Amino acid sequence: MSRYRLLLALWLLSDLLVFTACYAVAYFLRVGPILSTDVSFGKYILCSALAAPVTIAVLGTTRTFALARSQATLRNAAYIAYSCLVGTALFTLGYYFLFESFFSRLLLAYAFVLSALGLLAWHVLFQWILRAVLRRDPPAFPTLIVGVTRESRALVATLNASRNPLKPVAILDGRGVSDKDIAGVPVLGKLNKLEEVLAKKNISHLIQCSDMEQSLNLLSACRNHGITYIVLPSVFGIVERDETVESLEGIPVTVVRPKGGWLGWFVR
Amino acid sequence: MHAFILAGGFATRLWPLTESRPKPLLPVAGKPILTHLVEKIPKGIPITVSTNAVFADAFHEWQSATRNEQLAILIEDTRADDHKLGALGAVAQWITDAKIDEDVLLLTGDNYIGFSLSSFIENYNEGISLLAAHDIADLERAKQFGTVILDIDGRSVSAFEEKPHNPKSTLVSTGCSILPRSTLPILQEYAKRCPDNVGGIFEELLQKNIRVEAFIFREPWFDIGSFDAYLAATKAIVGNNVMTGEGSYMEGSSVLGSVVMGKNCTVHNATLENVVLFDNCTIANCDLSDCICDDGCHINGTDLRGKMLRKATILVQRS
Repeated sequence: MSRYRLLLALWLLSDLLVFTACYAVAYFLRVGPILSTDVSFGKYILCSALAAPVTIAVLGTTRTFALARSQATLRNAAYIAYSCLVGTALFTLGYYFLFESFFSRLLLAYAFVLSALGLLAWHVLFQWILRAVLRRDPPAFPTLIVGVTRESRALVATLNASRNPLKPVAILDGRGVSDKDIAGVPVLGKLNKLEEVLAKKNISHLIQCSDMEQSLNLLSACRNHGITYIVLPSVFGIVERDETVESLEGIPVTVVRPKGGWLGWFVR
Repeated sequence: MHAFILAGGFATRLWPLTESRPKPLLPVAGKPILTHLVEKIPKGIPITVSTNAVFADAFHEWQSATRNEQLAILIEDTRADDHKLGALGAVAQWITDAKIDEDVLLLTGDNYIGFSLSSFIENYNEGISLLAAHDIADLERAKQFGTVILDIDGRSVSAFEEKPHNPKSTLVSTGCSILPRSTLPILQEYAKRCPDNVGGIFEELLQKNIRVEAFIFREPWFDIGSFDAYLAATKAIVGNNVMTGEGSYMEGSSVLGSVVMGKNCTVHNATLENVVLFDNCTIANCDLSDCICDDGCHINGTDLRGKMLRKATILVQRS
């Protein structure tokens, strides 16, 4: 866990630097390799440094830094672009309020595009470093899989293939199975071994893939041990990947809607 | 005669109730299944309870609480299901180690029997194996047990099949038998080949043309191996009543069916239907139906049906 906190702090700090550096690159691309007297580099970089923490905070609200988030996805790129757009707007307002002047609109466009691309590239690279460090033995997030099913086999394969920080280290099954391991992850027995496995493997995350009748007990064990509990929608029979977690008058609910056109995304 | 009780299983099907205690020590209607069984054994018969090392402390604690001087605990040195001697293997090992040379009353520690063991023993004819059989009137369920086919005299066993695919009878063996001293060498030999097959010893005796008799009873019997069986046993023993343990109380609540409250439980503004609360449970503003709550459960503002809750489960609905 401390490994993760240190990496997260480094990530946030490096994001501030990357954001500011991208603005500096935009400046020199637009102005040329000189320090212009019309647009002071000092004022410019001061404003971009002031906009950086707010931009990263906005990025944080999109859960881009979440442990389970994959950085190299279109959705993540959209979140980063959105945050950088907010950053550019903040930079513009900041510059105006501090120095009562405007400057090249093209420079702003350069700054936005470069900061978005720069942050995305850095996030993809940093994720690779982060995952490599977090999965190194002993893993930072040893994960217990409950249930040997088609879904859990696919999950273990995906977590390992994508080098997700949640590293499966053990599998238990409510009814017992003959498999000794799933993709190299040992199957250690039935749920009567739960307490033993949680303690011995120092489990940080538990992913329930079957045995719906034991949800309450698995959740209870997780609460008692300070473990993060995750449940696959397939446990409830939702297998088509069209579920969303939403809020119904403040109560979190899992929703599966009838299939519709893409416009439904906006008006659901 | 010496009573030998098999209590070495790991009871995975009753998880999480068996997470912190062995199945034979699960409370049914206020006391452990094993206590129900031991109390039925006539005084003067020494009792050996065989279990595994994992639950040794729990059995020793139970032994101290029962204060039965006839009782001995035999610890099989196994810590995992796949390292066990096997039920019949454990019996054979005990016969060898303790140099048993007398009739053996063989019992399984997770069975609740409603009949009197004194009557059972009275029905034993010296030197003839006797097993207790119960008609479960369900051929499908009979597949899970050893089935018994009787001779025309209604007492002698003509055939015994352990967990048959196509049962010919709904009369099943109930984990209670007497094996005469003369059959013990056969048991020891058979256990070498089939260490897990307790019922198989009767097949073996019949194959060797050794007479086996059956004691048919109509009183309740439960093989408490699952959630449903546990609740069914509780319903049968408790009936439509509430059993309240020491220090427990209920207010503003209604009950249906069988309700058992262990020690120091509090139930407030709840509806309970066929519910078993172990010790130190707090239930408020809930409708619980067919539920078993282990020690220290705290439930408020949630309705549950057909659940077994592990020790110290906290379910509190935040408003």
